[in-house]
Amino acid sequence: MLYLLPSLAPVLAVVAAAVGFGWNERLPRSARRAIEVLIGVAVGVALAVALALVAAGPGTSPLLGRDGFGLSVRVDVISATVLLLVTFVGWVVTRFAITYLDGEPGQGRFLGWLCLTLASVLTLVVAGNLILLVTTWSITSLGLTQLLLFYAERPAARRAARKKFVIARISDMSLVAAAVLLALHFGTGDIATIDAAARVGGGGGLVTLAAALLVIAAMLKSAQFPAHGWLTEVMEAPTPVSALLHAGVINAGGFLLIRFADVVVQSPGALAALVMIGGFTAVFGGLVMLTQPAVKTSLAWSTIAQMGFMMMQCGLALFPLALLHLVAHSLYKAHAFLSSGGAVERIATFRRPGSAAVPSLAAVGRAFLVALALYGLIGGGAAALLRPSAQALALGAILVFGIAYLLAQGLADAAPQALTRRLAVLAAAAAGGYFVLHIAADWMFGNSVPPPPRPGPLEWVLIVLAVISFGVVAVAQATFALWAYHPAAAGLRVHLSNGLYVNAVIDRLTGGWRRRAQPHMAVV
Amino acid sequence: MMVTSLQVVADAAARTIPPAWPLAATVAVNPFLGLAHEDLAHVAARLSRVAGVAVTMPRDWYASRIAAGAISDADLAAALAAADPGTRPPSVAALKAAALQPEPPPVALATVADFAAAVSGIDWPAIVADRFGNWAAGWFDEGQALWAAPRGPAYAAWRAVATHDLTPEILGLRGFAGTVAAAPEHANDALAQAVAYLGVPPAALSSYFHALLTTLGGWAQTARYRRWCAELADGDDATITDFLAIRLLWDMALLTQYREHIAPDWAATLDVHAAPLVPTEAQAVDVVLQEAAERAGQRELAATLAKPVARIPDELPLLQIAFCIDVRSEVFRRALESLDGRIRTLGFAGFFGLTTLHCRLGSDVPEPRLPVLLNPGVVSRAGGAGDRTADIRARLDVRVTRAWERFKLAAISSFAFVEAAGPLYLGKLIRDALALKAGGARADPGPQLEPDLDLATKVGMAASTLRAMSLTGDFAPLVIIAGHGASTVNNPHASALHCGACGGYSGEVNARLLAALLNDPEVRAGLVAGGIVIPTATRFVAALHDTTTDAVRLYAGDHTSPADDAVLDQARRWLAAAGVLARSERALRLPRDDATASVTRRSRDWAQIRPEWALAGCSAFIAAPRSYTTGRDLGGRAFLHDYDWQRDREFAVLEVIMTAPVVVASWISLQYYGSTVIPRLFGSGNKLLHNVVGGMGVVEGNGGILRTGLPWQSVCDGEGLAHEPLRLTVCIAAPRAAMNAVLERHPDVRALFDNCWLHLFALDNEGRMAWRYAGHLLWEHEVINDLEEFSLVVA
Repeated sequence: MLYLLPSLAPVLAVVAAAVGFGWNERLPRSARRAIEVLIGVAVGVALAVALALVAAGPGTSPLLGRDGFGLSVRVDVISATVLLLVTFVGWVVTRFAITYLDGEPGQGRFLGWLCLTLASVLTLVVAGNLILLVTTWSITSLGLTQLLLFYAERPAARRAARKKFVIARISDMSLVAAAVLLALHFGTGDIATIDAAARVGGGGGLVTLAAALLVIAAMLKSAQFPAHGWLTEVMEAPTPVSALLHAGVINAGGFLLIRFADVVVQSPGALAALVMIGGFTAVFGGLVMLTQPAVKTSLAWSTIAQMGFMMMQCGLALFPLALLHLVAHSLYKAHAFLSSGGAVERIATFRRPGSAAVPSLAAVGRAFLVALALYGLIGGGAAALLRPSAQALALGAILVFGIAYLLAQGLADAAPQALTRRLAVLAAAAAGGYFVLHIAADWMFGNSVPPPPRPGPLEWVLIVLAVISFGVVAVAQATFALWAYHPAAAGLRVHLSNGLYVNAVIDRLTGGWRRRAQPHMAVV
Repeated sequence: MMVTSLQVVADAAARTIPPAWPLAATVAVNPFLGLAHEDLAHVAARLSRVAGVAVTMPRDWYASRIAAGAISDADLAAALAAADPGTRPPSVAALKAAALQPEPPPVALATVADFAAAVSGIDWPAIVADRFGNWAAGWFDEGQALWAAPRGPAYAAWRAVATHDLTPEILGLRGFAGTVAAAPEHANDALAQAVAYLGVPPAALSSYFHALLTTLGGWAQTARYRRWCAELADGDDATITDFLAIRLLWDMALLTQYREHIAPDWAATLDVHAAPLVPTEAQAVDVVLQEAAERAGQRELAATLAKPVARIPDELPLLQIAFCIDVRSEVFRRALESLDGRIRTLGFAGFFGLTTLHCRLGSDVPEPRLPVLLNPGVVSRAGGAGDRTADIRARLDVRVTRAWERFKLAAISSFAFVEAAGPLYLGKLIRDALALKAGGARADPGPQLEPDLDLATKVGMAASTLRAMSLTGDFAPLVIIAGHGASTVNNPHASALHCGACGGYSGEVNARLLAALLNDPEVRAGLVAGGIVIPTATRFVAALHDTTTDAVRLYAGDHTSPADDAVLDQARRWLAAAGVLARSERALRLPRDDATASVTRRSRDWAQIRPEWALAGCSAFIAAPRSYTTGRDLGGRAFLHDYDWQRDREFAVLEVIMTAPVVVASWISLQYYGSTVIPRLFGSGNKLLHNVVGGMGVVEGNGGILRTGLPWQSVCDGEGLAHEPLRLTVCIAAPRAAMNAVLERHPDVRALFDNCWLHLFALDNEGRMAWRYAGHLLWEHEVINDLEEFSLVVA
């Protein structure tokens, strides 16, 4: 019965949603209080689940249903972690929204849908059975659509919602198909049983197909190229919606793959697709983000890129790292969206000490060497301790690239010594933090997911390709000021700033710029 | 048509667009700035035609106020009597009947994009707005994108982008990139070519240009700001006419594609643009109703000013404290004076006469802390030679944070950032969710003039400021100069809450400069010659009044003078007590606020979209001795400027007041008016959807048109309006002839009064609103009703 404890969290969120819908319009003080407390208690529930997990170990609740199909709750380190994340971010977002929508006529309706979406995600992350998982996968998306259409009179909001709706339904269908195949093959809907069976029993035609469908469902959910467009238009809904995405909505794709890691690794083709599409989305999103002058739009592109990176980690079968990325990114990005109103002050502050020193090619080279040494020093120690896979070592390259960028700013010839020193300290701290977190993630999640397989020729090609393309972009970024303003780059910038026109094409196909009704026009 | 005369029309059209200051330091702007030479009825006709907006409230707003008795029959009759006899309704009864008739919203004349949308079903106006915004956001960007868009003159920069951008083509505008590539290289030529192609007759030009610039919203207004700054410095800036050329090219391309379907409609529209503007009967009614609402407000104000009040007996002042004329000071001044008879407060424009270009600690960015109508006169910097180390440290701190921020945002390194530091945001989320971050930045060291001025100049500055403040004698032992600023977090419009007279910055720098000037023994010695004797025992201390929290920070450490610390301590206690009173009063007005403690909390809450009401409700400007208003509750709705005409030699101070603070107050009042009445055009929209672009402005949602003016949440608490849209009532205690003389010398100011953008009253010697300015330098005697009736009205 202890394993039923997590179900309290979604129940609380449903009650909170009922309070919101009950008033529908502006909330009285008591209702505002009640909603916040209910979601706050859900955080407490998630903490209690974590403690219960430590005390009693992982397990699945009794099934409400028959023949292995129905409703059940799964408690393990994956569900407990994501449950904590979602309740916590959910609480912050709810609290924010209550104040933020003060006086808004649809305050109750907004919080109703917000809490209902949250309840759906909370159920999704603790689902022990396919039935529950598939259902909440859809409900989450429907709730989000309602939030996107909070200002349904805005054409741009409808444009985004329409795109998202189509993508989400394909994702739903893929997941349903995957679930049916899994149920047929394993004869049960119990997720833990399926994972265990897949781990020992290996794959077959059906499982491989199911893995591919899971990957498709996940990539569509997590806004991977070319299904990313709607995400950059979520700004048509109030800011808390953008933050809520990071409470297990946009990153549900990653969660799904981690949940079914044992199944997914049965299909090398699906993994390869994840590496390629995820890696491309990461680089593409990251580059487009650089060109965006609007803060929330820029953050949305950054989310696309980060989701791509998470997908790539899944494709490399580095599931513990993917989960770490999911959690860390959610915390960071939820904060970034909610605090995006400070952009005016941030930019004004950064202008005050004069322009940044531009590193020369030599400085960038030095920075990369130092970063590599730092990686060797700290990473070498960690490697001796942990014997990481080739995939994990390769991924460490992104740390080298990142740290190099930080160092390059300090090593620019015009940078004062004190700046160089302090950035070096920061770089070392970042490298240390990176390895500590990776070790912690491996230690926490490593036993719940399959280890990365030994890379074969295909995997090696992908790994090398990923490292090289990331490296090229990193060098380009570090030497940015030296080439980006060359006239030859102008066209590239225009195309990138428009996201390579994916949205324009999809809008054209879905009639996004159609006028719904003839507006009033002057009769002349 | 000659290109040059076309330029003249384009420049005139540009002048109809109000400038919008970037959000880093923004000030209120009169949205009717370029239209003030016309009255409200004509502006109603004009904006209805070019923008499809009404410039008065919906009829039911007036009807409900008439029904509730807030607008009396006498108000209606008086407004009617003052209206143009040619167009006004025949009687009060007819006026009341008209108020019950809802008017359909006006519809703008269509642009080519509108016609193209009608025949194609593709939302071309929205696409044009989206594409223009997409480019302009990058072009104006002050540092959001790491890969910044190319700069340079607007038209050329736009062409470089538009020739590459495939979006219009994908969405259905064939060959747009090619059209742009083939367009003339210079904006003037493009303008002429497009005008010829579109077949715009000369008489239609200015109206059509105005309409096109209006479709560009805040982008055109920001371009107008650039021209404003350039002209102030005797230069010129072509951005806004470049924008016009760009917008014309869009209409031209759309006409090419859809010509066969829309040509006749388009020609007919141009004929309407060319027709002279005549206000409709309905617009004339609207204007009379608006005037009546304002008369109702004036009746209440007159009652407040005429009512006898119980006074705390005057004692010798122990503390004099000068505040900005800002309406928010009124609440605090009243609270402070209620504490002790030895406190005197003064009102003066919050830049205190010092037009400084200031660099704060660790900054190379000069900040114009002065009214936007003026050019800077002095240059200052935080700290002197002794603060070099602090300056370097401040720079270093920002540079490290900036490098870390870039690490966070750059391609590739952002992935490393998340996995190295993402979990730290757990703490940040908790901190911000619970508003645990302490407010209030560390104060910069005292500002110093750089270069220092010679003594004569300093004495001259000090003397003119003291005279303008009517503070030339009876100095108290402690004189506090209080600038003001607001403390809010996560608020793109934070600077709009600061001091407008200080250019959208907080006012402590100017206050500290003035206090330093007046504490300087040499300056004091120099002042004696001009008849201003400051006692040696008198000490000036600068302060900052935080309008969000009503806390006052003193900068007592700026000067090491033989001070009476007991007086300073007493002042601190008074200020703290006044803060409590002011917060309690404001808490009643802030929505869903029940404790004064939560007033302070609002300033730290990152989700709070109404940290304070700012100047919402402002309705009067009073230039008179404080004794005329002491003890009267003006509800935080009045600008109070100290002025004593009997000490004003040749009415030089009167002239300054009527041409500077009054004009600034009109900008504020009319900004509130515009943002309340015409939020679509002159408001910045819904704060819940604000997306900061380029660190300089906001768009609603994904992009499109830059939104300027006040957010809807700043004028509405969600259910009712927080600002009653009334044009400002200016009351000046001065001889009418002197005021007429000023108006005659300043036609622009006179236009504001003659066209009723402001109402003017002369106060008599008892502070009553005795004379109403009726336009054309004529005055009407106001009947001051007996006091019985007034107390009824007030109740």
